[in-house]
Amino acid sequence: MIHFSFLSALRRLGRIIRVWLGSWWQIVLFGVLVLTLTLSPSTYDRSGRRAIARQIVSGTAPNLLWFTVLSALISVVLIRIVVVTALSYGLSRFAIEMVVRVLVLELIPLTAAMFVALRCTLPDGAELQLMRAQGTLDALQRQGIDPIRHEFLPRVLSGVFSVWMLGAVSCAMTLVLAYLTIYGFTPWALVGYTRVVGHVFNPAVSLILVLKIFFFSLAVSFIPMASAYYDGLTAVRRHRTNLATGLAGMVRLFAVVLLIEVASLMGNYY
Amino acid sequence: MPNYWLNHTDISMTDKVHDASPVPAAPPVANIEFKAALLLILMVVLVSASAIYLMYARGAFESTQELVLIADDAEGVVVGMDITFAGFPIGRVSHIALSSEGKAKMTVDVVKKDAHWLRSSSVFTMERGMVGATRLRAFSGVLSDPPLPDGAVRSAEIPRLLAATKELIQNLNTMTASDSALELSLRNVQSVTEKLAGKSGALGVLTGSDENAKKLYLTLDRANQLLATVDGLAVKADSQVFGKNGVMPETRAAMVQLNGVLSDVRASLKKVDAVLVEAQAVGANVKDATVDLAPLRADVESNLRKVEQLVNEINRKWPFKRETEIKLP
Repeated sequence: MIHFSFLSALRRLGRIIRVWLGSWWQIVLFGVLVLTLTLSPSTYDRSGRRAIARQIVSGTAPNLLWFTVLSALISVVLIRIVVVTALSYGLSRFAIEMVVRVLVLELIPLTAAMFVALRCTLPDGAELQLMRAQGTLDALQRQGIDPIRHEFLPRVLSGVFSVWMLGAVSCAMTLVLAYLTIYGFTPWALVGYTRVVGHVFNPAVSLILVLKIFFFSLAVSFIPMASAYYDGLTAVRRHRTNLATGLAGMVRLFAVVLLIEVASLMGNYY
Repeated sequence: MPNYWLNHTDISMTDKVHDASPVPAAPPVANIEFKAALLLILMVVLVSASAIYLMYARGAFESTQELVLIADDAEGVVVGMDITFAGFPIGRVSHIALSSEGKAKMTVDVVKKDAHWLRSSSVFTMERGMVGATRLRAFSGVLSDPPLPDGAVRSAEIPRLLAATKELIQNLNTMTASDSALELSLRNVQSVTEKLAGKSGALGVLTGSDENAKKLYLTLDRANQLLATVDGLAVKADSQVFGKNGVMPETRAAMVQLNGVLSDVRASLKKVDAVLVEAQAVGANVKDATVDLAPLRADVESNLRKVEQLVNEINRKWPFKRETEIKLP
């Protein structure tokens, strides 16, 4: 009896691992599929271009303003905290470096990725899942229109672009805000500030930042879409709600983002 | 953007897949491709500008000259670190390597426009603070000296004060080491103070051990006894010497007699003096006599010579001249 229950537990564990590995494999497959389509020139025909342009504009433009305002507020508060704390310890010359490291290298890219995920790609994933549930995607396929090329790919590219755009804008803005908060409206400290920024952004740190933003954008764009593409099918089979599959995709996305952040921290500080 | 995510939050987890409201088509946006291109261009410009700014910040567009600093230890020195002159950064460390002599060789790129601050007599120091990174600093005492040539090799010194402090600390360490002279002296002082506080006190310290101190006490006791004996002896000697029939009264009588003898001796000596005066007069006479003797002697000598000449003359003229030659048969 005990032997039997142990075997069944093992079998269940094996099934869970298989499903878990399978879901990751599906994400990789989806990524390769989308990458192939991205590199193929036929994607950028007139209708494809329009679909991609529409997704990029609708995904980035509204978020850009809001995120810029939000990150500016957070940046000003954090810069002030860091500068005042450093000053109270008599370590003001390390304040700029700390601000640049904490905000530009770590917090802003992470916040940009999370913002894009919550405002753009996760809702897009839910929308696609809903379309699949309603049979819209099947209808498109029946009409001879590839749903991956016309529905999934533009949203993925829009997500990737959003993360890059928001990250670039908010990083640049934080650098400007840090200068203004520490020195005020004077151009005379620009040389020293530029030198400190140059110190922080050595080739290794710059490369890690670029790679981090790149992988964040991939994770934020691919995982919700892949979940929508594959889990939509399994959800119908397994009678799960859209909300449950969406939450599962979100957890997966956050886990990956966390892993990328930890890897970048290890690269920067170990 | 359609907000379907929120639309579905009111669906319970147990609900099955259901039919929701159909997805409405996104409202058409005018000039969509132009706007997307604008966003793309904005991002490309932003990223390029950031890259160019970072390259500028890292000195990619500055013309530099090379300076090689040699130090015993490159701990704390990192590539990209500044070298400052009067607090202003004038160059960056571009390369750190171990030289063939086993010393740290730091190559510094000095910005050409600031290189004129460095002279051939410039001194370079490497400072390590309690907080913060190591700092490389340049000092130029005589700005009229010839400028530092490209590729110059200099040693990065540890500042004098720091070096002196280091030496001082090393000396202190040596002094306070467990087998140092100071430590041994302190130990000795401790043992001395322990002895001082002990039973024998300072005497124990002077004599070295308690046994010796006891011996000294014994000696003192004996000396006391000896002194008492000597005291008795002194009393007896006093009566012997200064008593009625003691040595001293008799000595005084002897002295009186001796005085009389001495006055007699004085009278005798006066007589001897008179005799000596007479003897002196005799001596003067004798002297006069010896003065007359000299011409007399001269006369005698001349007479003798004449007699000799006469004899010689007689010998020559005398017919009975003696034959001095001996004839052999």
